[in-house]
Amino acid sequence: MNTNVVGSRVIREDAWGKVFGQSKFPADVNLPDQLYGVVVRSPYPHARVRNIVTEKALELAGVVTVLTAKDVPHNSHGVLFRDQPVLADYVRMVGDPVAVVGAETMEIARAAAKLVEIDYEVLPAVFDAEQAMLPEALPLHPELKPTNVLYHMPIRRGTMEDGWALADVVIENEYNTQHVDHAFLQPEAVLAYVDERGHMVVQTATQYAHYDRGEIAHALGLRFSQVQVKTLAVGGAFGGREDISLQIIAALLALTTLRPVKMENTREESFYSHSKRHPMRMYYKTGATKDGKLVAMEAKIVGDAGAYASWSINVLRKSAVHATGPYVIPNVSIDSFAVFTNNPYAGAMRGFGAAQTVLAYESQMDLLAKALGISALEIRLLNHFKVGSTTATGQVLTGSIPLDQCLAKIAPYLQKGDGIL
Amino acid sequence: MKYFQPQSVREAVEIAQTSEAAFLAGGTDLVLFMQTGKIKPIALIDLGKIPQLKMIRETEGYLEIGSMATFAEMGNNELIYKQAHALWLACHTMGSPQIRNQATIGGNLGNCSPAADGLPPLLALGAEVHLVSGNGDEVIALESLLSRTPLLAQDTLIQGFRIPLKGFQSGFAKLGRRRALAIARLSVAVAIEVDGNLVTQVRVALGAVGRRAFLSEALNQDLSGQEINEAWIEKGVEQVQRIVREALGTRASAPYKRVAVSGVFREALDSFITEGGSNA
Amino acid sequence: MMDIKLMVNNKPYTLNIEPSERLLDVLRTRLGLMGTKEGCGEGECGACTVIVDGKTVNSCLVLAAQANGSEITTIEGVGNRRKPHPVQKAFVEVGAVQCGFCTPGMVLSAKNLLDKKSKPSDDEISVAMSGNLCRCTGYDKILRAVKLASQEGN
Repeated sequence: MNTNVVGSRVIREDAWGKVFGQSKFPADVNLPDQLYGVVVRSPYPHARVRNIVTEKALELAGVVTVLTAKDVPHNSHGVLFRDQPVLADYVRMVGDPVAVVGAETMEIARAAAKLVEIDYEVLPAVFDAEQAMLPEALPLHPELKPTNVLYHMPIRRGTMEDGWALADVVIENEYNTQHVDHAFLQPEAVLAYVDERGHMVVQTATQYAHYDRGEIAHALGLRFSQVQVKTLAVGGAFGGREDISLQIIAALLALTTLRPVKMENTREESFYSHSKRHPMRMYYKTGATKDGKLVAMEAKIVGDAGAYASWSINVLRKSAVHATGPYVIPNVSIDSFAVFTNNPYAGAMRGFGAAQTVLAYESQMDLLAKALGISALEIRLLNHFKVGSTTATGQVLTGSIPLDQCLAKIAPYLQKGDGIL
Repeated sequence: MKYFQPQSVREAVEIAQTSEAAFLAGGTDLVLFMQTGKIKPIALIDLGKIPQLKMIRETEGYLEIGSMATFAEMGNNELIYKQAHALWLACHTMGSPQIRNQATIGGNLGNCSPAADGLPPLLALGAEVHLVSGNGDEVIALESLLSRTPLLAQDTLIQGFRIPLKGFQSGFAKLGRRRALAIARLSVAVAIEVDGNLVTQVRVALGAVGRRAFLSEALNQDLSGQEINEAWIEKGVEQVQRIVREALGTRASAPYKRVAVSGVFREALDSFITEGGSNA
Repeated sequence: MMDIKLMVNNKPYTLNIEPSERLLDVLRTRLGLMGTKEGCGEGECGACTVIVDGKTVNSCLVLAAQANGSEITTIEGVGNRRKPHPVQKAFVEVGAVQCGFCTPGMVLSAKNLLDKKSKPSDDEISVAMSGNLCRCTGYDKILRAVKLASQEGN
């Protein structure tokens, strides 16, 4: 295998098109006679759509069509489960798409979107994942799960009683992280059209073109071979373009009207419409001997999946697997949950569940070190993974684990700090 | 929507009297408000083509700044650096280079956001505002103008500002969420007149702690006529915290800003130019 | 509607526009200059940066009418494959380009800085680039590219 490029500087081929402003992002492509689509989104976190009146919107000159749930052949999509509606008649979060307007200009489409009258039956909403887990909480996806607990991952290693018996110091704390938006610099945009073969062509920025293709085909009732997804310059993603955003809605408009359809989110619409990083509530109890060796850890991690599953199972699995951090702990009990709420749905984002737990386990390490009267560096050197270590899931690490080298390199910088280390 | 691009102040005021037009300065706020539908003007009078409004000059006893001077132009101006240092500092922390190239000091007053960066320095420096309308010219202290509601009649144009050159030293500091592109969460401008070791006058103005920027008269009385030393600064910190407490009452941001203002006040004092010309 | 005259990338245009049209939209939809990007629409991200009469502005916060009579440089007017601008060359060489959506605005802010000051200090580079956001967080390489361009170009 040729490995010459490893460790060498390579010119990025697509960089030239980008520095000249030539690279085509989906907002940059247009077709003659295209329609403009604008989505009408729910202002309520939980509601049933009782009725939609589109007459006023349709009366506005230049409006071609207004589509709602009843116009979608198969009204669902999703990366793990098809639990997310293309156009909702049952709303589970603020920002759920309820209708889409197609018009001759973007201005007309935006104006008409304000004229679509939607009658909602507002339902009680739950915004706290632990409250959503309670048996009396209304399940948001009864067809998928009888309760709001979408996923539970238990990890058990050793014997907790033995572990706590060995511990001279025990630190117990609760840690919380918040929603984070990817805020990729290019808001979502799509150009969809039916081509000369009668095939649906969708040009967009996506992390997952082959999946988009399957979901578009499913929702519209087309064969895979009748759908083509072209990935243009992506404009940042960071996990936020794994789920479908405007792709199916634009394709639906194009299929209905047989005209090219352009859709472009404003930054505000972008915030409302795509996934977020999971907020997590993490209860940690960690014990160490007076020599600074970790002996036991108990963790409960509750991840707020929001309104739809997206990648929550995989994300909370990763949180569980990484819950000990890079440290050897012989007795471990971890329970990780993904829970539906009426918050914005959470999905993939840089780190994919491994980022949140860092706050908890590293804070625990600092607090243990403080309680033991040793440095924060020392406690890490005493406990970190080495070749041959066994993780909480029973994996024996055989590859390269140069954590000691990393810590040795940063040690001088840490010691220059404020004396904590 | 109609659009006018007058060449003179007189022409601009005439158009304003005969149409329901709004004045357009740099537009960094107004264009955004139009885009989001918050403001829907029937007509705009673009002041960008009136050279007179861009002037920055020293006249007898005053530093005059035209309303269409941009933050970048003020931030590059030697006169403002020396004679209105607090304003010069505000020009460098406001927005981003792109915003500073477009946004104007007149627009900053016209829009009059609670967090407007230019207003606390102008208040501290005792600036007066030159207004022109169908009724003629009016020169009014900025402090008095800011107590009017509405701030300006539709046909009233902000021609410019004039700062009396009384040898005040001044400084400015702002608390934003990051260094560039941050709207002020809190800003403090301080101007003092010194006679030997004695502070003879103190003018402290605060931004983003109320509906509009304001000048504290009480602070002037408490801090004037005293010697500058550590104890004086501590007294100033105490007083400015009291003012923020009174101004914000039970607002959610009050506990945070009450504490933060002590640091921002000290920073503002640190930002004065010393006699030698470099920062203290 | 009103008529305006713009000189864009050294080419004169007379356009009949709505006074409410933003410069950004006129450049993109009327002139087809798609290199100017809209990231936020409110002057936070700088992806829509263009140079108007020698000054960088956010074209999402400027009406096209305000630019009447002005000279405008967009990314399409800065270098090409045969003759890249030193900033463009440096961005590619240093690896200051990731997703590329911020790149046109970044290049214009850097070019404008170097037009005014051929050997800026590190601080001056940071300030000049502070109105342009990169969400791939490649700032370090972007600042290095501007530095490199200032050493090689001009």
